[in-house]
Amino acid sequence: MFKIDISSTIFFLKNLKKTLFSNLFNTIITLLIILFISVAISNTFAWLLFKANWKVVISNLPLYAFGSFPPNEQWRPATWMISLLLLSIFTLCGPEWKWLRKNLLIVWVGTIPLGLYLLYGGLGLSPIMSRHWGGLTLTILLTVCSSLLSLPFGIVLALCRQSSLPLIQKLSSIYIDVMRAIPLIAVLFFGQLLIPLFLPVGIEIDRVWRAIFAFTLFVSAYIAEDIRGGLQSIPNTQIEAANSLGLNQYQIIQFILIPQALRIALPALTNQSIGLFQNTSLMAILGLVELLGVGRSILANPEFIGQYIEVYVWLACVYWMVCTIMAVLARHLEQRMTINQANF
Amino acid sequence: MKINQKVFLQFGICIIFFGLMGILINNLTINLIRTGLGFNFSWLFKPASFALAEHPLPYTSSDSYAWALFIGWLNSLKVIVSSLILATFLGTLIGFARTGKNSLLGLISAGYITIVRQTPLLLQLMFWYFVGFLGLKDNIFIQIKNIFYVSNQGIEFSGLIFSSEFLALSLGLTIFTSAYIAEVIRGGILSVSRGQWEAFRSLGLSEKKGLIRIILPQALPAIIPGLTSQYLNLAKNSTLAIAVGYSDIYAINDTIINQTGRAIECFIILLVSFLLLNLLITNTMEIINRLILKSRKYS
Repeated sequence: MFKIDISSTIFFLKNLKKTLFSNLFNTIITLLIILFISVAISNTFAWLLFKANWKVVISNLPLYAFGSFPPNEQWRPATWMISLLLLSIFTLCGPEWKWLRKNLLIVWVGTIPLGLYLLYGGLGLSPIMSRHWGGLTLTILLTVCSSLLSLPFGIVLALCRQSSLPLIQKLSSIYIDVMRAIPLIAVLFFGQLLIPLFLPVGIEIDRVWRAIFAFTLFVSAYIAEDIRGGLQSIPNTQIEAANSLGLNQYQIIQFILIPQALRIALPALTNQSIGLFQNTSLMAILGLVELLGVGRSILANPEFIGQYIEVYVWLACVYWMVCTIMAVLARHLEQRMTINQANF
Repeated sequence: MKINQKVFLQFGICIIFFGLMGILINNLTINLIRTGLGFNFSWLFKPASFALAEHPLPYTSSDSYAWALFIGWLNSLKVIVSSLILATFLGTLIGFARTGKNSLLGLISAGYITIVRQTPLLLQLMFWYFVGFLGLKDNIFIQIKNIFYVSNQGIEFSGLIFSSEFLALSLGLTIFTSAYIAEVIRGGILSVSRGQWEAFRSLGLSEKKGLIRIILPQALPAIIPGLTSQYLNLAKNSTLAIAVGYSDIYAINDTIINQTGRAIECFIILLVSFLLLNLLITNTMEIINRLILKSRKYS
């Protein structure tokens, strides 16, 4: 056993020599990189441990998490976030309970009404206006609500664009192309401005829902294109087979096209939802106090003025972490889907 | 589906669609009349009466709104083109490093790509602006031989002045886009079959020469569409200029809406200006694509 270890070490070293020190140029680059990494790491650690003043982060932790949610009600968003976290942990490495695993998707979707109930209040909880929502809670709420709403809308748009009816096809193509041509911040800004103008007098939607609506309009165009890619990669023979089995148009769409298209488009859809999560930060310059907005308002506080680096590094870490969790969850879902396919 | 059914279905959907549009437009007119704004473009020729910090063509605050919008469009174009060129270079380098033999270099570029792609662009832009440029001390001028000045006002290079807003925006966009371009380049290089690598190595070509003369020309057809979509994304992302106070087309539209309240008209103007930018980018890339195809044919 010891022998194998030595030979594998030698193999590793030889490999290292081949990849890192194969010629003079490569050696110089490798040495420069090692120098660069060591300087960068030592400087970063020196800054993290000694120079940085983490008071701006530590004393404001509830603010980053919940915004200006009333302090004695903060257990509500906290409950929601912790339940989301526990659900992710369970999904990734929980026990194989078949009855729960089968309905896991429903449980995930169910967290949205739960979150809305906990945030809005009512039915035994004291009601809280949406202008008090903020921080990471609001960021996650914007992400989950908009992605859930834009998925069905995107599927319908993709089906319309693939449809054989010319008029429907044209209308949805125009919508998708226009939405993909304009920048997100314009959609969000005009969503805040124009949605009230398009509604009848007397009906008003609050800022959060206007933002969710604008995100949905925008993201569904991108999702539609991803799903269209999935639809196009389904061979025509499948539709012919379904036709010869006597399935009608709607059954084909429901049982043949959509499940396969979703499975193929899943990696692209994951990227869309991660992108959506990052893009919710745009609401910080449009008046919502989500995660980045909290950072901005803390930096405007005279007590913490000029501590840009600490706040931005901390926010980048939080965004990075949530993105990573989302990516890992999506990879898990992809693996599950391929396993299911093999079982058939 | 029978033809009758098809016509009927389309007809029904059209009625629903236009009915919905009708209700929305009706609401809009009621609201516009209520707020007393109406819908016209004659305000475009009134004096804008706001100053612009940055204008490639002469501009004063007594010039018209239309001229201000055109200046904003030029500002957008300026930042888009400069960061497009820089991001392509940087992205190509990182893409090569990611696919190259040196595993340490590959590791570093992979780390760069993950960090850049997993944090929001807006956060990065704010970081570069507030930490990178405004963090420079006001009174300490770094100057090299009287041609190169750096301060928190920006960089002056032999008479050319780049404001710190412009620099922070193009730096942020360059870094953000280069990470995506690197992935496009990597995808393109990986799409060339391994046999090609082995073939040029066995012919005795050097690694560098083989990459440029053999691999890259074959990877380009896979790279160009990805690049085009990244350039379009770059153009759209450049509207985040408003976060650092650079007056691009979107920021000027925003100012005008705050002054005049004409949201619908400004939305249409923004739509048209982005249509122009997109057409410019896609057509240029189309020409480049055609040139590449042509050069392959005759070589």
